[in-house]
Amino acid sequence: MSAAPTNTRTVNVTIDGHTLSVPEGMLVVEAAKRLGTQIPVYCYHPKLDPAGLCRICLVEIEKMPKLQIACATRVSEGMVVHTSSAKVAEARKGVLEFLLLNHPLDCPICDKGGECDLQDFTMSYGPGESRLTEPKLHKPKMVDLGPTIVLDEERCILCRRCTRFDDEIAQERNLIVDDRGFGSLIATRHGGEYTSYFSGNTTEICPVGALTSKAYRFRSRPWDLGHTDSICTQCSVGCNFRIDTRFGRIMRTFTRENTAVDDGWLCDRGRYTFNYLYSPHRLRTPSVKRDGARVDVTFAEAVALTAPRLADAAKAGRVGVIGGGRLSDEEAYALQRFTRDVLGTNNIDYRAHLQKFATPSRFGAHLTDLDDASLILMFGALTPEQAPILDLRIRRAVARGHAKLMYVGPYRPELPVEARYVDYPPGEIADLMNQLADVVHHGKEETGEGFVAEIAQELASSEKIIAIHHGRDPRGAEALERLMETLHRFDHPVGILVVGATSNARGAEAAGCVPNLGPGYSPVSGAPGMTTNQMLAAAAAGKLDALLVIGANPALTFSDGDLVRRALAKVPFLAVADQVMTETASYADVVFASASFAEKRGHVTNLEGRRQPFAAAIDSPIEVRDDAQLVAALAVALERGDVVSADPDVLYAQLRAAEAVSQPSHATDASLPRPLADTPPAPADTHDGAFTVIPIPHLYAGGGGVAFDPGTAAMRPSPYATFHPDDAARIGVIEGGRVTLTGKGGSIEVDARVALNVPRGFVLVLADMPEAPENRLLDESGFGRATAVSAGVKVRAAG
Amino acid sequence: MADFEPVLTKGFGSLDLTDLAVYRKTGGFEALTKAMRDMTPEAVVNEVSASNLRGRGGAGFPTGKKWSFLPKDGRPRYLVCNSDEAEPGTFKDHMLLENAPFNLIEGLVLAAYAINAKRIFIYIRGEFLQGYRIFSKALADARAAGFVGHDILGSGYSVEIVAHRGAGAYICGEETAQLNSLEGKRGEPRLKPPFPANAGLYGMPTVVNNVETLMYVPHIITRGAQWFASIGPEKSPGPKVISVSGHVVKPGNYEIPLGITVRELIDGYAGGLRPGRTVKAVQPGGGSSAAIFAEDLDCGIDFESLAAKKTMLGSGAVVVMDDTACMVRSAVTLNRFYEHESCGQCTPCREGGQWVHRMVARLEAGEGSEQDLRILGTINRTITGTNLCALGDSIMPFLQSVMTRFPDEFKAHVTQAGCPLRLRKESAA
Repeated sequence: MSAAPTNTRTVNVTIDGHTLSVPEGMLVVEAAKRLGTQIPVYCYHPKLDPAGLCRICLVEIEKMPKLQIACATRVSEGMVVHTSSAKVAEARKGVLEFLLLNHPLDCPICDKGGECDLQDFTMSYGPGESRLTEPKLHKPKMVDLGPTIVLDEERCILCRRCTRFDDEIAQERNLIVDDRGFGSLIATRHGGEYTSYFSGNTTEICPVGALTSKAYRFRSRPWDLGHTDSICTQCSVGCNFRIDTRFGRIMRTFTRENTAVDDGWLCDRGRYTFNYLYSPHRLRTPSVKRDGARVDVTFAEAVALTAPRLADAAKAGRVGVIGGGRLSDEEAYALQRFTRDVLGTNNIDYRAHLQKFATPSRFGAHLTDLDDASLILMFGALTPEQAPILDLRIRRAVARGHAKLMYVGPYRPELPVEARYVDYPPGEIADLMNQLADVVHHGKEETGEGFVAEIAQELASSEKIIAIHHGRDPRGAEALERLMETLHRFDHPVGILVVGATSNARGAEAAGCVPNLGPGYSPVSGAPGMTTNQMLAAAAAGKLDALLVIGANPALTFSDGDLVRRALAKVPFLAVADQVMTETASYADVVFASASFAEKRGHVTNLEGRRQPFAAAIDSPIEVRDDAQLVAALAVALERGDVVSADPDVLYAQLRAAEAVSQPSHATDASLPRPLADTPPAPADTHDGAFTVIPIPHLYAGGGGVAFDPGTAAMRPSPYATFHPDDAARIGVIEGGRVTLTGKGGSIEVDARVALNVPRGFVLVLADMPEAPENRLLDESGFGRATAVSAGVKVRAAG
Repeated sequence: MADFEPVLTKGFGSLDLTDLAVYRKTGGFEALTKAMRDMTPEAVVNEVSASNLRGRGGAGFPTGKKWSFLPKDGRPRYLVCNSDEAEPGTFKDHMLLENAPFNLIEGLVLAAYAINAKRIFIYIRGEFLQGYRIFSKALADARAAGFVGHDILGSGYSVEIVAHRGAGAYICGEETAQLNSLEGKRGEPRLKPPFPANAGLYGMPTVVNNVETLMYVPHIITRGAQWFASIGPEKSPGPKVISVSGHVVKPGNYEIPLGITVRELIDGYAGGLRPGRTVKAVQPGGGSSAAIFAEDLDCGIDFESLAAKKTMLGSGAVVVMDDTACMVRSAVTLNRFYEHESCGQCTPCREGGQWVHRMVARLEAGEGSEQDLRILGTINRTITGTNLCALGDSIMPFLQSVMTRFPDEFKAHVTQAGCPLRLRKESAA
C-alpha cells in the first residue's frame, strides 16, 4: 500500500509557510492534507501505490530544480514546499489545458457532473478560457465493459486508477490500458467482460465520468441526492456504506470508508442489490392463504389471524420460531424476547442454514488481524464468494504482506492469490485439527514425517496465524480452538474469524436467538429449546402446531432439504415474514411483508463482533413493518404489549443491559458458550456408487432479494454442478451439457461443468439457487449423496 | 586528429569481426582473459572508474559510478544491455552490433563480472533482425569457446546472456521502460525512485548500459584507464561513434575523439556540405536535442561544450540541415515522432505532444495562425520538465530552438499560408 514506511521518526516540513511535524517518509500530498491544504490529484489515490502519471499535483520544493509531484515525493527533514506559487499555478493550468484538449465537455449530460474532479479542479485551478481551436479527437463512447460498467473513453483522463485498483487491490488484472500515447484506451484483457465482484469501486474512484455504473447512469444528479449512513447487510462483513436517495427512492449506494472493516471498498452485490425493492416481487402487503389462493390482507388482519394460532400452539408447548440472522440486533432481541416471554418457549433458532455457530468461542479475531498475519488458514469458508471485502484483505496480505494462504478442504477452489491447498475429505477436519494440535504440542522432535507433520511445521514456522471457519462444524471448531490454544501457548498470536451465513448471524447469536443462550451468551433459564433441526423434525412428525419464520428461508438454505420441505408442508400453522416471496413463504398460511435494511434503523453485528448503527434511508410501503414492529404487534394482540417494544432505542437499551451481564469478549482466556447444536451425522457411506455432494457458495446466489433484483440479475449464475473429467466421462456428461442429480430429497437439473479441481467421486453443486435447490441432495451433515445422469445438451436459442 | 586511431570501428570494412578467430587475432578476449586471471571485480570497476568513461546512450552518466551504486545486500543482480537504439538520427549501435558482436560480448561479460551479475539481458531493437542473428551466432560461438557460460576460462565465474528482441517502441530505450518490457509488462517508464540500481529487473539491483559504452570496457581493461582518459577533453574523455546524417556529402558513422568541433566533423569526416550550401541548423545529439546554428560550428563535440550551448551530446547523432531545409517541416517530422512514441502515461507528454504536433503540422500546411505561434512559443513551460521520464522533455527542444532562431520563417508560414522556401521554389519553376 501507499502508506509511508512504518517509521516512528518525524521530520519537520514547511508547506506554504506552515511548518509541521510528520512521520518521515510521508508523501507530500498527505502532509499537505494534515494542514488542510488541498493539492489537486487525479491518479493519486490513498489506497493505491503512487503512479505519478497525471502531473496535476506538481509542487515547488526548494533546492529542487524542477517541480516535483506531491503524490510520490516523500517528505524529508527541513523540506520547504510551495503549493500555490506562480510556477505551480502555471503547471496546473497547463495540465488542465492538456486534459481538456480532447475532453468532450459534456458535463450537462454526464453523471459525474457535480462531483467531478476535472470539473472542480478546472474551476479552481484551470485556465479561464479555452485556446483550443481544433476539432476534438474522438474515441469510443458507451463501451459496454461488462454487466455493471459502461465506459466513455473520451471522458477518460487516463489516470489509471481503475486499472491499478484491479491490479493492486482486487489482484485480478482484467482491466488494462490498451494502445499507446494519446490513443490509449481503458480495456479488458483479451477484450472479455469486466466481471469483477468489485467493479463498482472503479466508478467511485474514477475522478471523471468515464466509468459509470449501469445501475446509476442517468438516474440522478449528485446535488439532488439525500445521504443516509448505513451498513451493508448482504454478507457478514458489515461494510459501511451510504445510501443516496432521491424522492424517497434509493438511487445508489456509496462507500463510507471504515478502515477497520471495509477499507473503503464495497463488493458489487452489496453495492447493487437494492433494486429488488422496486421490483414487482417485493412484498408490499401481508397475505393469507384462503381456499388455496393467496389473498392480500392488511397488517392488522394478518396479526389478528396469527396471534391466536401462536398463542394456542404456545399453550400446548408446540410452537417454534426460526429466524434472526438477517434481522437487526434490536429486532433479534425483540424476537427472542417475544419467543421466551410471550410464547414462553426456548424454541428459537436463527440457524436456518448450514451454519451452526457464528461466534468463535475463543480467540476471536478482528478483520484487521488479517493485515499482518503470516499464515491465513482457510477451511470450509470460501471468502471470495461469501465475504468479498474480507477477501480483499486476504489478497493484500498474501500479495503484498507476504502472508501465506492455506486452504484446507475437499476440493481446490480457484483463489485469486497464491494458496497452498491441503486436500482433506469433508467431515473429517476435526481429526486433522486434533492431529495438528498434538504434533504442534509435542514439538519438532516428535513430529516425524508426513503430511500432518509438514503442515504442523508450516504452522510452527509462521508467526501470526488467523483461521477462517464457516461455522458449520462445531466439532471442527473445537478442534481448531484446541490447535489455536496450543499455538498460542507457543507464543504465536492467533485468531479465528467465523464467516456468517447471513449478515447478522453473529448479532442474532449475541442477542439470544438460539435455544440455549439468551442475550449476551447467557445460559437460558430452564431447559434449552429445540434447534432448527429439532423443530423441523417435530413439525414433520406432527408434533408442532405453529411455526413462525422471520427473515429466513430454510426451505432453500437448511441443510436437509427433504426434512424442511416436509416440515413446512405439514405444520398446521406457518407464518413467515420476508421482503420477497421465498420458497418458505410459499408454504405459509400468513405472510408478513418485512421492512428492508433501508427502511429501518438499528444496529447489526458483523462477523468479528463489531456492532454498527445504521439509519433508515427511505420509508417503507404502508403495510410493511419491520420485524420488531411485527413481534411487538403480535405481543399486543396477545395482551402482552408491555413485554416487547417496537422502538429500536428501547430495544437497544434492553439488549445492552442484558449483555452487561456477559459481554462478548476477544480475550483469549475467555470462553464463550456455544449455541446448542445437534451432532451432525458423519457423511454418508461412500460405497454406494453415487457422488458426494459439496455445496459451493456464489456471491450472487440466494433466494431472497438478490433473486429478484434487476440490478444484479445479469451477474447471477445459472445453477451448475462440476465433476472431475474422469467422472464426467464415466457418466457421459460434457461441459456445457445438462445433468440431473438425484438425492434423498429429490432431483435437480443443472448445467454440467467439468474441472480438474474436483476430486473424483465428488460433485460441486452451486448452493442456494431457488431454481435448483441443492439442499434436495443434502442431509444434516451439510453434505450429501447423489446420483448423476446426463440430461443431454442445453439448447440455446440462436441469436 | 591525425594521431587518433579508431577503437571500436577499427578493421570495419576490411576484417570480418563476426568471425571469432578474426576477432581473437585483433586482440579479442585478451581483456577478459586478463580480468579472469588477474583482476577482482573491484579492480575492473576501479579501472573503468579511473578511465572516466561516460555512458554513450544519451545521459552520459559515469559508468564506473553506476556500477559501484549497487547495494551490497546479497540479492541477485542483473546487467541489462540497452540495444534498443531508436533516437532519431542515431544508427551507431546498429552498426556495432552487426559488425563487432564479440567486442560487445566481451564487454558484457566484463561488466557482469564487475558487478557480479549472473545473468545478462540484451534488449535488441526489434527492427535489428540482422543484428540479432549475428549477435546470437556470435553468442553461441563465444559460449562454445568458453567465454560465456559456466566457469569462464576456469575462473569459477559463470554468467549467461539472454538476447531479447524489442517490439518497436521508442520508449523501451528508456531504461525503466525497458525493464518493464523485459518483464513482459507494458513498455512504460517507472516512477523513480526506486532506481534500477536498487530495484530494477524483477525488483533486483540492475545496471543498464548502452552497447557502445560496454564495448569500450575491454579496451580500457587491455590498454588501461590512462590511455582512455588521455583521449579528448578531461571531463568527457574517450572515443565516440557519431552518426552523421542529413545534408552532408558522406553521411555515416564516424568514430571520433570527443572534443573535436562540429565543423571538423562535418568537413573532416562527413565530406562537407553539398557545393554552394551553407549550414542552417545542426542537431548534435539526436532528435531530442536543441539545434545549434552556423555560428556555433566551432563548438566541441563533448558533453560539457554542447551543454554550454544549451543542447546535448545525447546519443551522438548529428543531423545537418543546410539552407534548403524548412525548419517547420523538420519540426513536424520530429513532433510527429514524439506524438506517436509517447507511452501515454503522463498528461503533458501524451496530450501536449499531440497538440504541438497538430499545431506544427497546421503551420506546415499553411493553415496555422498567430495564436498557434503564441502557444508554441510558451508551451514548453508546461511540457518540459513536467513528465515522469525524459521523453516529454524531448518534445520541445528542437522546435523551441529553431523558433527562437528563425522566428520570421515560422511567421512567414502563417502570413504566406505555407512554406516560403517551397513557394519560392514553385515560383522559380
